[in-house]
Order: sequence, then C-alpha cells, then structure tokens
Amino acid sequence: MAELTFTPVIGIEIHIRLKSDTKIFCSCSTNPDSEPNTNICPVCMGLPGTLPRLNHKVVEQGMRAGLALNCGIRPKSLFFRKSYFYPDLPKGHQISQCDLPITTEGFIEVHDENGNLKKIRVHHLHLEEDVGSLHHSASDGRLEGAATSYVDYNRSGMPLAEIVSEPDVSSAKEAVEYVTTLRRRVIYSGASDVELEKGMMRFDANVSMKCSDGRWGRKVEVKNMNSFKALERAIEFEIKRQRKMMLNGEEVKQETRHWNDAKGVTTASRTKEFYRKFIVEPDLPPLHISQEEIDAVKAKMPEMPDVKANRYVNELNIPREVADVITDDKNLAAYFEECLKFDANPVRISHWVRTEVLRVLNETQKKISDFTITPENLAKLVSRVDEGKLSTTQGKEVFDYMFKNNSGIDEAIKNLGITEGGVAGNALNEIIQNILKENPDVLEEIKSGKDKKGKKLKFLQGLVMKETKGQAKPQEVAAAIEEAVK
Amino acid sequence: MELYELNLSFLVEGLKAKKFSPLEVYESCKNRIEKCEKNIHALITRTEDFAKSQLNENNNGILAGVPTILKDNLCTKGIKTTAASKILGDWRPPYDATAWKDLREAGAVLMGKANMDEFAMGNTCGNSAYGATHNPNDISRVPGGSSGGSAAAVSAGYVPFSLGSDTGGSIRQPASFCGVYGLKPTYGMVSRYGLISYGSSLDQIGPFARTVRDLQLVMSVISQYDPMDSSCFRGKKFDFTHSEDVSVKGKKIALVKEFQDFKLDTPISDAMKKVQKILEDEGAIITEVSLPVVARYAVACYYALAMSEAHTNLERYDGIRLGYTVKDASGIKEMFERVRSYGFGSEVKSRIIAGTCLTEPSRCEEYYVAATKVRTLIAQEFTKAFEDVDFILQPVTPSLPQKIGENDDDEMKSYATDLYTLPVNLAGLPGLSFFTGYSGNLPVGLQLIGKRWSDPEILNTGIILERHLGTPKIANGGE
Repeated sequence: MAELTFTPVIGIEIHIRLKSDTKIFCSCSTNPDSEPNTNICPVCMGLPGTLPRLNHKVVEQGMRAGLALNCGIRPKSLFFRKSYFYPDLPKGHQISQCDLPITTEGFIEVHDENGNLKKIRVHHLHLEEDVGSLHHSASDGRLEGAATSYVDYNRSGMPLAEIVSEPDVSSAKEAVEYVTTLRRRVIYSGASDVELEKGMMRFDANVSMKCSDGRWGRKVEVKNMNSFKALERAIEFEIKRQRKMMLNGEEVKQETRHWNDAKGVTTASRTKEFYRKFIVEPDLPPLHISQEEIDAVKAKMPEMPDVKANRYVNELNIPREVADVITDDKNLAAYFEECLKFDANPVRISHWVRTEVLRVLNETQKKISDFTITPENLAKLVSRVDEGKLSTTQGKEVFDYMFKNNSGIDEAIKNLGITEGGVAGNALNEIIQNILKENPDVLEEIKSGKDKKGKKLKFLQGLVMKETKGQAKPQEVAAAIEEAVK
Repeated sequence: MELYELNLSFLVEGLKAKKFSPLEVYESCKNRIEKCEKNIHALITRTEDFAKSQLNENNNGILAGVPTILKDNLCTKGIKTTAASKILGDWRPPYDATAWKDLREAGAVLMGKANMDEFAMGNTCGNSAYGATHNPNDISRVPGGSSGGSAAAVSAGYVPFSLGSDTGGSIRQPASFCGVYGLKPTYGMVSRYGLISYGSSLDQIGPFARTVRDLQLVMSVISQYDPMDSSCFRGKKFDFTHSEDVSVKGKKIALVKEFQDFKLDTPISDAMKKVQKILEDEGAIITEVSLPVVARYAVACYYALAMSEAHTNLERYDGIRLGYTVKDASGIKEMFERVRSYGFGSEVKSRIIAGTCLTEPSRCEEYYVAATKVRTLIAQEFTKAFEDVDFILQPVTPSLPQKIGENDDDEMKSYATDLYTLPVNLAGLPGLSFFTGYSGNLPVGLQLIGKRWSDPEILNTGIILERHLGTPKIANGGE
C-alpha cells in the first residue's frame, strides 16, 4: 500500500492597526503608549445614546492597504454589527465591514517549495474597530479563574483592517512569506507602520488537511499568534497534530484552538466560540467611494517593494540579493534612490548601501532615518573610490568618519589627512629623493650590488609608503625607487 | 389665568416683554407639577432644583426661562437618565443629547425627565420600571406611549412644550391620546446623538406642544445639522417661521385607499369627515392613494426591523461600565445573565429574544433581510404616492385611549394598533398628530403625513387646521 501523503490547506486572517491620529468612530487619540483609560470618550465606551461617525482618514488608509494587496476598491460598502458578549467589547457588538467590505479580492505572490512564484489570493480587506484590552489578576493572565479583571478601553475603537486570505497557503514557510510580503507592502503604502512589537499585526490561521486517500479534515481555527515565528510554529504544530490524528484514523473536528507560545502547542479553546450574527449598522450610512477618490489614492501610492526590486535588477543591473535587501526597508530604498540622483554608479552604490550602510546601522542599532551621511556625500564617496581618487580602504575610513562626525566628504578627507588621487609623479619622486638622502648607507649597499635579495629595496619602499601615508600605489613606488637608484 | 397655562409662544413673548419673570413662570409650573404629579405620574425624575440653577445663567436665547421636560431616554449631563429601565440604575450621563444641548443653549430650563415605556418599547407608558403614567384627561386611562410622560406633562400644563421620541408612533399616539400636538420629524432632521437607541433607523426626536405655532418654534431650535449623528441631514435649511398667511388652496390631500375598510371608533371616523370638509372648504382637493404594500406588510416589517435593531442596541447593557450590576457573580457569563435578567423588563426581554431569533443565521434571510427589502418597497410606495399628492390624512390610532391594564395580555392586538403610525417611520417621513376636538373628556387626534423634509409645510397646514378645530385646553390632571 502506498504511503499516505497529506496536503495542508491553510487560510490566514490578519488584523493590522491602520495609521491614523484618531480612532475609527470618534476623535480619541490612538497613542498606544497612553495610561489606561485615558484615550476614551462616550462613543468608544459605547455609552447609551452615542453614535459612531466614520473617520475618513481610516477609509483612505484602508484603500491604501487594499491597493497594496492588489485589491479593487468597492464603490459602495457597508458596516455591520457583529454581536457577541465579552467584557472588552463595550457595545456588545463590534462594528465591522465583514459582509460587504471596502475592497474586492487581491493577491500576494510567494515562492512555493520548488521556488516557483505562486499567488495567494486575498479574499478581501475590511475595516473594523478594535476592542478594549483585558488585564487579569489570575496567574495565567486569563479571564477564567481570575479574581479580578480590569478593562482598558484605550484600544476600543482603534482602526483595524482585517485581511482574509483564500485557503491557498500550503506550508508554514509559505505562510511566513505571505505575511512578510504583505506587511512590507502595507508599510510601503503608508497605511500602517505595522510595528509587530506594538501588537499592530495579529494572526489567525485556519488549518485543515487533505489526505491522499480522499479524506478531508475539518477546519481548525488557530488563534493568538502575534509574531511571524509564532505563526510559523503554530502552523507547523497544527499540521503535525492533524496529520497524526488522521494517520491514527481519528477525525479532526472543527474547533477553535489557542496557540500557547511558551509551551509551543495549540490547545482547544476553553471558552465556547461565541454565536455571532450580523445586522446592518443602522447608525452609519453606506460608505460610497467615487472613482475620483480611488484615482487620487492610487496616484499617491508608491512603487511596491517587489516591483521596485525587479526594477533594480532589470534596469540598474543590481544583483537580486542586494535589490531584495535594499527594498525590504522602504526608507532604505528611498535613501538608495536619493543617492542615484548624484551621478554615481548604481551597482556600486547598492553594494555600499547593502554592506557599509547596513553594517553601521546594525552596529549602532540605528534606523536609516537616523543615518547621518547624506545621500549626496555617499554618492560622492562612491564616485571617488570608483575613479581611483580614494583607495577602498580610504573610502571606508572616510565613510566611518562621516558617519561618526556627521560631516561632509571634503571635511572628512581633510581631517583624515588624505591626499586625493594619491602621491605620484613629482610629488612621489621628491619623497623618494628625500628618503635616499636620509639613508645614504642603504643606497650605497644597493648600488654596490649587495642587495641581491632586494631586501633593502623593500625597506626603502616601506619608508616611502609610510611617508605618503599609503597614498601611493606600491608598483609605482617600486618602479620609481628602482629608477632612482640606477 | 395662571402662568403655567400660557402656551409657549405667548410665554416667550411675555418673558421678552418682561410682563412676568422667569422665576414666576418657574414657580407656577413647579406648583402645577406638585399638584398633579401624584395623579398622573408623568415624571421619573424631577429636576426643579436644576431648572432653578439654570435661571441664574442669564441666558438671552429665544427660549430663555422657558420650562421644559425631556423624555427620559434623552441624555442629560449629570442628571439621572433611565430610559425607564432598572438596568440603567442611577446612571448620570457625562454628556448632553444634542437636542437638549440646543434647547439649553436657547435658554430652556429642565423641570424633569418624563416617564416612558422601557427603552421606548410600548404604546401605553405602562411598561415602565417606574410605574405607569395616567392620562391627564382621564386618569383611569393610558396616556399612550412610549412618550406618554412627555405628552401628559404638556397636556396637564407642567410645561408648555416637551421632547419625546418616535420609533413607530411614540410621539404621535400619546399626543393624540393626551390632546396635544406632536411632530415626528423627517428622519435625519433632528440629531439623534444622546437619544438612547431603540430602533436606530426608525428613531426620531420630536416636540410636543399645545399649539402648532409652538411646534414651529421648537423645531426652529432643534432642527440643526449635527456632525455627531451620521444620519443627520447636511446642507439643508428649514424655515419654521410662523405665519398666519398660509393656504392649502389647490393642495392634494389623500386618504389611503386600503385603510378605508378598517374599523375606527366613531369619534375618530367623525373627525376624519370633519377634517376633510375643513380642508375642502379651504380649497384643498381630497383624493385617494393606494398603498397596498404598506397595508399588507408594514406591521410585520416594522417589528422585524425594530426588534432586530433593538436587540443589538441593548447588547451594551452588561453591568460592566454603568448602571445596574451584580458584585457576587461567579463568572462573567453569570454576571451578564443576572444583570440582564433582572435589569430588563418583560416587554424588553421579549423584544430582545424576538430580535435575536429574527437575525439568527438560519433565519436571518427569511426575516431580517426580507424586512429590509420590504422596507425599501414601502419607501418607494410612499415616494410614488407623493408624486401625485401633497399630504396623506389618516387616523393616529383606530381607537381612543383605553383603560389602564386593557389589552395588556394581547400583545398582537397592541402591535396592530400601530398600523397608522409606523409606516411613517419605515419611510423616514414626517408626521403631525393634531388635535381635532373632544369626545366627552377624551381628545381625538388625527395625523397628517408628508414627503421627506416637508415638515415646515405640514406645520403650515396644521396652522389652518388649528384655526378651524380650536386649540386644546389644559387637561384637569386628575384635579
């Protein structure tokens, strides 16, 4: 009997905090660092009589994020009430576009196990409000069994985009590439900074297994992943768990499971899944978006990172690996492109950015936005090294000096005592003549033919190099000394 | 004549001319409330002390020193607001409803918060956690609902005007039962911000007063665009200026064909005939419109939508942030259950359960979604009707106010009596409940409906009707 094979079928739901100074349905601040229950008002507290009012900045950000995922924008979308009872949900329902979202379908490209490009379809992106956050006194930090629980409503009403994929993902690796690429694109679009450590991106995965004998496992929803690593591990765990169950002839039942990051396992959710139903949110009119508004946002959309990387490769002949690294960070790519305005060789600049710029940023734990060397100075530096005015070693010295001292290139060269273009010709001859005058005994030995192994000649070369601070070309020095001692 | 007997417009003129002081008006109204409240029980909370403090604010607005009363589902900053439910406990809102803010800025002073059916669910003012309100014209009878306290207060002369809310007739029906004028404005004309929601897409705040002219004055204050309410009109101007120089000459006023076979109490059918004659004498053309979908489906459609919206609007009452709560629940589920089981009255609970069932995933298409579609048809039917006619004339209710306790066991009968009022809410139209006279000691009211945003024209027609039919007198209030 042939060995059974299993194909994971995975769909991913992502929540991303959209960038806006104020909440989605009121004018409270979205500052994530505020003291608990300070960014609240009657509206985001869901007090009786209050009504939501849509923040149009959030709509624009939703459009940006949607366009970044190759989605279309729907001219008319709706808001719904998604009902369930939970202490962090002030109105007893969440206002969400779940049933008629702002975008139509889109896609993200990832590499499959054979390295081929594969589309992960995005079913849609929709706008919704976040809920409050709970703090429990129980040792495990959970609601059940806690003596006291506290609710912080600062997060209530924070603007979210929920992005739902089709079940096109086949492995944990693809899942990670999907969310990584998606995150990078959303950051590029300006819709969100997606700072993972601030909880701006949360994942749920729907995992099921298809067996070669025709059996299909039921869909298991895995929740509570807050990092790429957690997503990867949770999916891997769940694939193994379900595979094992199916190999044992057990039935995988539909359920919600929680990822326990510390233990590295998923566990059946202790609370029963809330029964949810939707009615149209009667307090918000339909959201109409005109073609003009869509065009205006499209016009503001920057080039997406993968498109940019391809352009670097195809038009600027930059190696793929370097192009991918530079475009990973929107601001680094912007810095690189700024450098290109100053007539330096793109390939050489890309290498400098890839190696030197990233090296010092990494060493000093700084961001490119804090980087002190201006694009113009870096471009000049690269050009001068390229033209041989500076040696590579000198170039790196100048680079480090500019970075540390926040200086321009000319100031750096001057303060480092470097003579551009090196010491050659008459200047070099002058130095050689002086050295010979100062070392008549050595000169005599060479002239008398005693220096058979050329040791003395090397000694003189060393003196000259030292005198020129290494700014002369060694071959030139050797040749000039040989000429001078004849 | 006592000052409390003055209608709003005369009161405003008198105050302006300094014929009497705001304090004298205040004292007169306060005494009237003191005298009648034990018989009528129109108020949940009396706020005379607050009103008195307002008199010191030296407001020079158009309503400066005019006492008023608000239905207790309108939020008042720092003043207990209950929606006639135990579940709100002793809650004091941290903000003012926009309509009250507008009145307050115009100088109105708050004498009390009026009784109502709990969360505006009911048409008798008997479904209140704070006890029933009695009709000031006959205290053995209901004042109507849900804004029964607001209507009774104006009828009994507590104040010259009050605010209520109308989701399916909750202003027009008690206005008719108590013998005052009540306007349910076009949906979106008055901000709903701060109105404790029942059926959000149907709710509308509106005024009660003893003359049409007084309604015009109040509407001129509260029909303001409010960015806090996304369903509020934008960029429209409404002229509620009073004029006696109004006419219905050549206007087409229709009766609804499908309603003609329905049984009415004799005083109401007599009033219909009387009003038709007046309008014809004034040069209007009486005609007929056909509203088959309204007649057949409006009641079912209305309750499906109102209950679906209501059950989500009431999800927020969980005992966590405000109002009634329990301290000794053994878990969050038990807490929710106990708070809601104790906090809500039985009518509210039955509507929450109905709303939950109507939107439950397996039935949602058949009920809630179907009702939204029927609603569109109803709105279209009205739009088409108003292409041919200016107003529709019809009863408010088929019968005069019943005795307190009557019909209480027959909910379906009670729901069906709203047939004449609730289509107006489904289509977002304005409706005026106007006084036509008395049958014995009971007032008889009728209703005039217009197309969206025609509120000023409806009131102008009301001026003509009032001229012929007379102004209601202040009810004896059980004295």
